[in-house]
Amino acid sequence: MEYLGIELKKPKVSFFDFTCCEGCQLQIANKEDTLVDFLSLVEVVNFREISSEKKDHYEIAFIEGAISRQDEIERLEKIRKQAKLVVALGTCACYGGVNSLKKRFSVEDVVNEVYGHNPVETLPVKSVKEVVAVDFEIPGCPISKAEFESIILHLVLGTEFRFKKYPVCVECKQNLNHCLLDEGKICLGPITRAGCNAVCINGKLPCYGCRGPAEENNWPSLKQILTEKGFSPEQIDEKTSFFNSLTEVTKNES
Amino acid sequence: MLYKTISKANFKVFINEVIAGNVTIAPKMTDKDSEGNPVYQFQQVYAFDEIALNYTKTYSSLKNFFLPFKESLSTFQFDKNEWKQKIEYSIHPRVIVGVRACDINGLLKLDNVLMKGKYPSPYYVARRTNTFLIGLDHEPMADCFCQSLNSDEALHGFDLFLTDIGDKYFMQINSSKAFNLFKNVQINDIETEDEEKYIAEKKRIASLFKTRVAITGLSNLMDIEFESDVWKKWGDKCLSCGTCAMVCPTCYCFTVTESIDVSLKFALKEKVLYSCNLVDFAEVAGGHNFRPEPATRLKYRFYHQHRGFVESYDEPKCVGCNRCGIACPAGINPIDVIHDLRMEDVK
Amino acid sequence: MSYEIPRENIAAEPFMAGPPDFNRKSRLMQTDKVYECMITNIVELTDMEKLFHLKIMDPGESRLFTFRPGQFLMLELPGFGEIPISISGSSAIRERIGLCIRKAGKVTNMLHKARIGTKVGVRGPFGTHFPLERMVGHNILLIAGGLGLAPLRAPIYWVNEHRSEYADVAIMYGTKRPKDILFDYQFDMWGKIYNYDIHLIVEEPDENWKGRVGLITELFNEVDIDPHRTYAIVCGPPVMFKFVCNHLNQVGIPMDRMFVTLERRMHCGMGKCCRCMVGSTFTCVDGPVMDYWTVMNLKEAI
Ligand SMILES: Cc1cc2nc3c(=O)[nH]c(=O)nc-3n(C[C@H](O)[C@H](O)[C@H](O)COP(=O)(O)OP(=O)(O)OC[C@H]3O[C@@H](n4cnc5c(N)ncnc54)[C@H](O)[C@@H]3O)c2cc1C
Ligand code: SF4
Ligand code: SF4
Ligand code: SF4
Ligand code: SF4
Ligand code: SF4
Ligand code: FES
Repeated sequence: MEYLGIELKKPKVSFFDFTCCEGCQLQIANKEDTLVDFLSLVEVVNFREISSEKKDHYEIAFIEGAISRQDEIERLEKIRKQAKLVVALGTCACYGGVNSLKKRFSVEDVVNEVYGHNPVETLPVKSVKEVVAVDFEIPGCPISKAEFESIILHLVLGTEFRFKKYPVCVECKQNLNHCLLDEGKICLGPITRAGCNAVCINGKLPCYGCRGPAEENNWPSLKQILTEKGFSPEQIDEKTSFFNSLTEVTKNES
Repeated sequence: MLYKTISKANFKVFINEVIAGNVTIAPKMTDKDSEGNPVYQFQQVYAFDEIALNYTKTYSSLKNFFLPFKESLSTFQFDKNEWKQKIEYSIHPRVIVGVRACDINGLLKLDNVLMKGKYPSPYYVARRTNTFLIGLDHEPMADCFCQSLNSDEALHGFDLFLTDIGDKYFMQINSSKAFNLFKNVQINDIETEDEEKYIAEKKRIASLFKTRVAITGLSNLMDIEFESDVWKKWGDKCLSCGTCAMVCPTCYCFTVTESIDVSLKFALKEKVLYSCNLVDFAEVAGGHNFRPEPATRLKYRFYHQHRGFVESYDEPKCVGCNRCGIACPAGINPIDVIHDLRMEDVK
Repeated sequence: MSYEIPRENIAAEPFMAGPPDFNRKSRLMQTDKVYECMITNIVELTDMEKLFHLKIMDPGESRLFTFRPGQFLMLELPGFGEIPISISGSSAIRERIGLCIRKAGKVTNMLHKARIGTKVGVRGPFGTHFPLERMVGHNILLIAGGLGLAPLRAPIYWVNEHRSEYADVAIMYGTKRPKDILFDYQFDMWGKIYNYDIHLIVEEPDENWKGRVGLITELFNEVDIDPHRTYAIVCGPPVMFKFVCNHLNQVGIPMDRMFVTLERRMHCGMGKCCRCMVGSTFTCVDGPVMDYWTVMNLKEAI
């Protein structure tokens, strides 16, 4: 920001993927119209999706994906030592994400189910913060490109980024959607942090809370509403645990 | 005001002409709820037949055409040590067809805040003055209580207002803009029979209201019952989700956000409609929150509707459309809350 | 003690009728336009507070900008946000708008990085002001806690500039620690040239502190108050002004002769965003300066 006399530091950043679909990295690489501007803010030293260069000098490490194997833990610990700032990118990295569904079955069952007769060594799924200290979390499945860019910009300018404190319902209504709770579906929008512009509901799919809890999250009330609408505890639990992102809010109740 | 009639056939011709020349917005069916009832919204239409003229009420109000949920207040162009502010208010004229009396009254309330008074909002004024409004009478729904709030009849604030009197509409022409539009479409003078039918229809509509909310003394009750348990009771259910304020025709409060573009060439200053139910509505730097509990925020929404607004404009802010009640995921509606506050048995 | 209902000074009424007209009717459409300003000086007061001097760059706009002590403006830092800040300086000097700003969040942190010459924007002034003309001929108690001295500086300058019109003037100022004291370099001048009775107190003294220790209310033991001839202006956090005003009330100053400033979240300054509402009142339009009677009778004020 030249008018304020703030010199932009151009941090060296690296992206690392663990157990995930790499969809979040794709989000960033896909943003063609702003990619050039974005790349002038940071120096990317490792990024699978757009370059094959591999270097070990980076200040910010973006970790994509959940941690589910012993070798991943070791790799992550190495990254933590190298990076000044570790950023968990996407719901998998922040909360375990869809991978956490695994938690509901025993490890052996999962290995059998997925890998059949070639078992690999896997552990219960962990979020990044369960393994190493995390400086910042950017949730979303996938992450919102606009939000990601804004966060990087804040980082580069040295000013704090704040997530929206209100829930998805606000954005849902701003997109003139009819409430899916009134269409017989379970929607977790009322307890989920906004910022995705309610993409799922815009596409008629209910919110499963990939962005984690909103600051005010009245789970007891929402649970009662869902129960009164005739959903069973199992049906409710299936949705709330989908991304493992709301467990912090829903576990003490259900 | 000029009173005329127009045949339904001619009205269709007229609307098709309007659509051909202008961006036209009208109620359309967009969804069905779990009981199979249609859900309507105001959307752009391209032919008369797309319009659901006998719609019940739209799920969301039409305020977003006047107060967009997100609106750019200005941009700042950066150039080395310099920046320049740019503000634009211009808006293309558009037509909205089929507006209910309560919604017109809602706009009149917004006019009070945003067009009159000390600091009119040029953004709103630009949109309001460039919107041609065609109102339409209808039978109230079971939960409409606009009559209790004196909002079941619109006296001004529109260009045209129609009442169905059989094979024609009884029409109030309220602007020269509207009058000029009828150069090519035949309209007729009122005959005694039209007048009788109009009066009978008005009477019939007025007699159909099933829901009543007692407003007398409510403003003082808001003060007296400030510590009432009623707020906790409903506050415990409230999800602080802001849905009520988003669909409400008269909620206008907002937040302002600024964001720098990744190119670092400009920044955008945006206004986003807000709700006093949202957790950080009254939060200040350092984290102090003047209304930390959902119950105090819910109470405040009612307080603004029925006390704050009354003190400023001598009438409640609510028009009694019950949109908030329909859309609230937690089933909180003003009818029950106000009955509760008055310690009256609900229904 | 007999109580005589005080006569209102009607001559002061037009002055009270409202803030100077920012809403110049002919420029009605400009309510969101900022005046471009240059930061002409920055004084580092403490680790957390800096005093900024602003100059409106356009001479025409600069002539238009007048304010009354107690009013605030909206300060725009393009790209980062817009915040309400009390004007902390003399209303007679047009060349310089003084703003004393504490680092508290996004905008204020960035502002602390600004240098002399940085361009910022302002809108305003907004809100109510201290009715200083009504106070003519009376004693004035100026009481501040912490950052509350910032808005208090405007009425102090006013009284300096009209010193002969007022009787005894006392300043009572309390902070948490000695290093939080703002504008200490001005105390001598205020005391010696303008003959103010200045009293300081801190809650947590350091080894060099020789003055009083305790809460601000303890300073009342040092000051003689004539309740029939005194107006009070109190700036500070709600707990502080509540204690102070209750004390003054016991001494016998009528509640409508005590003035406080309220602070709420603000996004417009024009009674539109509703963020600043206290009960049914807009802090930006009906405040921030209010008499204590009004504040006491507002829902959610304290
Ligand atoms: C009438 C009035 C006069 C003030 N005078 C001064 C002054 O002279 N000196 C000073 O240092 N501070 C003053 N403040 C407080 C100052 O406005 C806040 O410290 C400032 O808004 C914090 O902004 P931020 O972006 O740094 O903080 P953040 O916490 O990042 O705030 C985010 C946004 O919330 C809003 N906001 C947060 N806190 C407040 C608040 N307390 N009041 C209003 N809006 C808020 C602003 O829009 C702000 O940009 C005053 C406040 C009011 C209402
Ligand atoms: S519950 Fe879901 S569908 Fe309903 S308003 Fe909230 S986000 Fe939208
Ligand atoms: S609507 Fe819910 S699940 Fe969908 S992206 Fe947003 S937060 Fe995630
Ligand atoms: S009632 Fe609440 S949500 Fe509605 S305008 Fe007022 S402050 Fe905003
Ligand atoms: S009934 Fe609800 S939505 Fe309708 S005007 Fe009143 S508060 Fe707004
Ligand atoms: S009253 Fe209903 S719609 Fe409004 S915030 Fe509370 S739960 Fe949401
Ligand atoms: S600051 Fe927006 S209403 Fe007061």
